[in-house]
Amino acid sequence: MSDETRRADDTGTVDETGTGLAGGDLLTRWRSVKERESFVILGTVVAVLLFPYLFARAPVVSEILQGYQSLAELMLIWGIFVIGFDLLHGYTGLLSFGHAAFWGGGAYAAGVFAIHVSGSPIAMILVGTTFAVLLAWVLGFLSLRRGGIYFAILTLAFAQMLFYVALQPLSNLTGGDNGLGIGGSTIEPLLGFIPLDAGVPVITMFVDTWMYMLIGIAMVVTVAFAYRVLNSPYGMVFRAIRENEQRAEFVGLNVWRYKLMSFVLSGAIAGLAGSLFAIQQARVPVESLFWTTSGEVVIMSVIGGVGSLFGGPIGAALYLYISNIVQGMSEVVLFTQIDKLFPGAQAVVLPEWASPAPYWHLILGLLFVLVVVFIPRGGIWGGLQSIGSRIGSRFGGDR
Amino acid sequence: MIPDAVALQTTGAIARLLINGLQAGAIYILLAVGLSIILGTLKFVNFAHGALYIIGAYLGLIIAQDPSFGGKLAEWGFGDIGLGFGYLAALVVVPLVVFVIGVLMERFVARPFYDRPDTDQILLTYGIALILTELFRVLFGGASRSIDQPPWARGSATGVPVLGDALTALGINAVSTWRIVIILLTAVLVGIVFVLIEYTDFGLTVRAGTVDAEMVELLGVKLSRPYLVVFGIGAALAGVAGLVGGPLVNFNPDYGATILVPAFLTVVVGGVGSIRGAVIAGLSFGLIQAGLVQFGFSEWAQVGIYAVAAVVLLVRPQGLLGQEVAA
Repeated sequence: MSDETRRADDTGTVDETGTGLAGGDLLTRWRSVKERESFVILGTVVAVLLFPYLFARAPVVSEILQGYQSLAELMLIWGIFVIGFDLLHGYTGLLSFGHAAFWGGGAYAAGVFAIHVSGSPIAMILVGTTFAVLLAWVLGFLSLRRGGIYFAILTLAFAQMLFYVALQPLSNLTGGDNGLGIGGSTIEPLLGFIPLDAGVPVITMFVDTWMYMLIGIAMVVTVAFAYRVLNSPYGMVFRAIRENEQRAEFVGLNVWRYKLMSFVLSGAIAGLAGSLFAIQQARVPVESLFWTTSGEVVIMSVIGGVGSLFGGPIGAALYLYISNIVQGMSEVVLFTQIDKLFPGAQAVVLPEWASPAPYWHLILGLLFVLVVVFIPRGGIWGGLQSIGSRIGSRFGGDR
Repeated sequence: MIPDAVALQTTGAIARLLINGLQAGAIYILLAVGLSIILGTLKFVNFAHGALYIIGAYLGLIIAQDPSFGGKLAEWGFGDIGLGFGYLAALVVVPLVVFVIGVLMERFVARPFYDRPDTDQILLTYGIALILTELFRVLFGGASRSIDQPPWARGSATGVPVLGDALTALGINAVSTWRIVIILLTAVLVGIVFVLIEYTDFGLTVRAGTVDAEMVELLGVKLSRPYLVVFGIGAALAGVAGLVGGPLVNFNPDYGATILVPAFLTVVVGGVGSIRGAVIAGLSFGLIQAGLVQFGFSEWAQVGIYAVAAVVLLVRPQGLLGQEVAA
């Protein structure tokens, strides 16, 4: 698995630099640098800052991609959600089909709090995340009584129960079938004086609004937190449980407690993402609690790469890209884009029947099944890593 | 005279509750028995079981009636592919076709994944369910549909010769014949499967394979064929569920995802691999749901079954009639 191989790489390079063989070898130095926590966080900061610019505003690139700012925001929010999900599935080995409960629960808690108490974004995030933590504690306690497939079914069932609770009995609070309308005016400025839709000074061109800044900061904090947890002795136990639960138990670890904590941490991050979703959308659709939302995060995680911190956000971005951009692709758009790429001679015009728009969900389903069958643990991130290591071995000799 | 009338009213209310509950439970039971025998014998989780329900429903609609579909079929000029052979024809053809689909699924989807982790099976069948759902949406359009009740089962059951008299004696004035048909049909089908698994040589092989597949194969019994049949039967039951549920609940391609969750819950609460357990759990869910509706708590009807399931699983994690120790 990817994290194991990375660790193996890491120790290997330490040996090499230790013996002084590597000298000025850039590649070796790169290898030792890229595992440092500060580098991972710094890399995330740079990626988060550059991403909306490249995706929504940069010349040529963004025109080909047809990206836009609010989609970049959504990608980051779902990316946080997938990181939370993968903490449980990829690292502790527990496949939950009920993470919609924490995403939707966090979103509803944040929304209800905004309407009835205070619309401060920070307070909304705190309330949503706290609610998700409490919820995860209860659902984890109930679902973790069974393992494997039964865990998946139980999380699915309990999350679905919350969906029905929000749909009808609590419809006074949640808005029922129509979803919860929070309204942009209810959400107060950040820290009381920075409107979320105002541009960020100096780096406006990169990040545009404070809304993105808020989401981006949440992403960086999530990555830093998850990285720290997963590379601590505590997080190592998660992986030990994934590899062999019985052995972890025999060694004397309280497996049940670690599993519950992994579930709660995972739920907390999902709740954070859900609160951000409520802030960004200024409404909470009731579907955010339906189990297909849990299914979406599963798909994103598996496509991006299970058990890798950065695979998740990549999977989320790809999923949202296909579901939002391909869905709206028509022959005309394709035509003009191809024309821009290859000016001069006319490019091929796609006939109407070949337009991918009606098939976007089918494309995702096929992609998902292909990944599950052929690279169930690697996903896109695993593929990128193996390409990277191949290039590395070509230029770096035997190591 | 007056106490009699009150008594009749009470028995009527109870009988109505029973019939509504049995009918709601029947759909869960048809789905859960199939899921349960597949999970129990093949140790295979089928998240595509809801998609089989949808296949049964659409296939039934096409065979029984002359529907006109939207979607790509209409664009390609096949919008009216209905055969109009009537409901009974559908009742014969649908289980057979879905049985074959189930056999193909076992051979080409499940078998290559028996040695993979459980979670991979879930992911794979979930992906297949997604693809099937989308195929249906692309082909038939996303509109909600329903199957017409066949003419012989329309109206109130009180008009039916013998049955009607019995119902009137119980104080029931109006109950749709269709509900009675569903209950009887489910009872017959589940009974057949039960006898097949519990009292035949085929069933003996299957049950032995559940306990120790390796030993059975060492004794010279080939298990791959019984496995094919078990998967096929489970699938066929789901197809029938779609066919009999079609006239009662509107369906669209997404409905498979909705119906899957209570079906799974029925399996887990009843105890995996136990047909009796699935029936008991399905009936309880049906009765709870019907009871909550009848006594004015209809908005809690869906929540009710999950709450009861949570309590049951807290007390007995292996399910009501489950054998295995909690994993």
